[in-house]
Amino acid sequence: MKKTVDVSIPLGPVHPCWKEPVRLKCETAGERVLRVEVELGYMKKGIERIMRGRPWQEVMFLAERVCGICSVIHNMVFIETMEEISDIAVPPRAAYLRVIVNELDRIASHILANFSYCYTIEHETLAMYLLNTREIVLDNLERITGSRVNTAYMIPGGVRFDLLPEDAVTVLADLDKVEEEMRRHTRIFETGPLIALRSKGIGVMDREEAIRSHTVGPTARASGVPDSDLRLRHPTYQALGFEQITRTEGDNFARIMVRFQEIFQSIDLIRKCVTTLPDGPIRGGGLCRAGEGSHSGEAPRGELTYTIKTDEYGRVLDIAIRTPSIMNIEACAHAMIADAASIADVTSTFISSDPCVACNER
Amino acid sequence: MRSIIYYVREFLRPEWLKKFFFAKTAPLATPSYFKDYPSLTEKECTGCFACMMICPAPGGIVVLAKKDEWVPTVYPGHCIRCGLCVEACPEGVLTSGRILDVTRRDKTAFSSWYRLEVEDALCMRCGNCCVSCPVNRQVDPQLAGTGTSSSDEVIMRIEGGRVRILHEEKCTGCKTCEINCPNSAIRVARMVEGVQGEEAEA
Repeated sequence: MKKTVDVSIPLGPVHPCWKEPVRLKCETAGERVLRVEVELGYMKKGIERIMRGRPWQEVMFLAERVCGICSVIHNMVFIETMEEISDIAVPPRAAYLRVIVNELDRIASHILANFSYCYTIEHETLAMYLLNTREIVLDNLERITGSRVNTAYMIPGGVRFDLLPEDAVTVLADLDKVEEEMRRHTRIFETGPLIALRSKGIGVMDREEAIRSHTVGPTARASGVPDSDLRLRHPTYQALGFEQITRTEGDNFARIMVRFQEIFQSIDLIRKCVTTLPDGPIRGGGLCRAGEGSHSGEAPRGELTYTIKTDEYGRVLDIAIRTPSIMNIEACAHAMIADAASIADVTSTFISSDPCVACNER
Repeated sequence: MRSIIYYVREFLRPEWLKKFFFAKTAPLATPSYFKDYPSLTEKECTGCFACMMICPAPGGIVVLAKKDEWVPTVYPGHCIRCGLCVEACPEGVLTSGRILDVTRRDKTAFSSWYRLEVEDALCMRCGNCCVSCPVNRQVDPQLAGTGTSSSDEVIMRIEGGRVRILHEEKCTGCKTCEINCPNSAIRVARMVEGVQGEEAEA
């Protein structure tokens, strides 16, 4: 029998390129990587089990702690599911404020994802520039909600704090600064010849493969999957005239560029929200009731679904969370990395799909 | 050679050297809007336990009785700095960041209800819940042992061989009964609603 696999190289669970522990087992023939197997399970928290039997004011904080990078969307989807179960209406001002905070969080998450890609391909200058810009975004999150990461901003029937008029001015001014800096960073990334060598045409996943492996979020949009952004179905985003960004290349370059483009789109959405913020209350009230429901929202990495069953006092009886990264990680291992030219491309391609292991294992 | 000239020209400028040796980053300051661990204001605590009851972190805040006053105490290792206690306190005893100012301005608050339920299949009628309840003890100091009481004002008592809940509205949500129940038969539900405007003032 002919031996095709020379060496099986493990990457991780502790690896300088990974933000979280995950192991990739690469079967190699020479420099070429034939197959990659993903091994998860290094950081299971059992958070869904802890959530059971608790009311929303406790589960809300646990939901945020599922993922540290995209905590706002976990809060938002959980609260929207509870609202759907209990028929609680949200005042329009609160709905707009939710979009502002959610988009700020999306910008921070996308910048971090692009930072880790630049860091993985050893373009540390751009990586550090990106982190510097992310700081402005986090400062604005803190200005609106009081904390940088686990914001706990949304509650059933509204939000916790109003946007003060003087803060709105600062947010708009800071967004101009972020946009200016991001234009520069995007230009550096788009025109850099060495970045192109490491990114263009590497880790290609075509549209059929992306649909077949159920990729979601920017990974799907970079491969040209239409109608894959759940913000298209969110009433507030529909009112803001949201349109999905799609690219067709499907390689590492496209995945990073989709995120850069979405950052500008989010900046525009926040601007539109702040300038057209309707007056009125920020909390409508409403108690959580018994019921069962499922709701999805667009996390920075793709579709996030909460399925919740509550009892008559609004306590969570059963909860299931489906996070976006699991599809993307599998698609990445089977479609993007398969037959990669070198081990170096494995790390950069894996990071370009923005894997979030904390979300996956909960 | 050209690169050496470039570096000399770039870095031997007076403004660059000045920046290199004397540049100072702005001192790290905590912004006024940062939600820090709650601290006490001058207001007097009435011992309603609203902060303890809404706290999502186990043991984040505990209201302690000291001599003749109540003192809310925050344990930084347990507190997750969510600021719910600051919003829930009806007296404004706690403060954190600018939550207190903003909630006063917008008239936002949390209102809570506590509901009791006893699962008959699990309950073995020991009366621990009725005896341990601090409200029961205040209403009827005679209540002990079997959990029966002659007072109609207690929250719950053993009546005809089973727990009967008389005054659910008096419950403060402390879950002492839940902790003392050997079979997890009694459960306290803490229901919270975020409200704004006239509702919040009432």
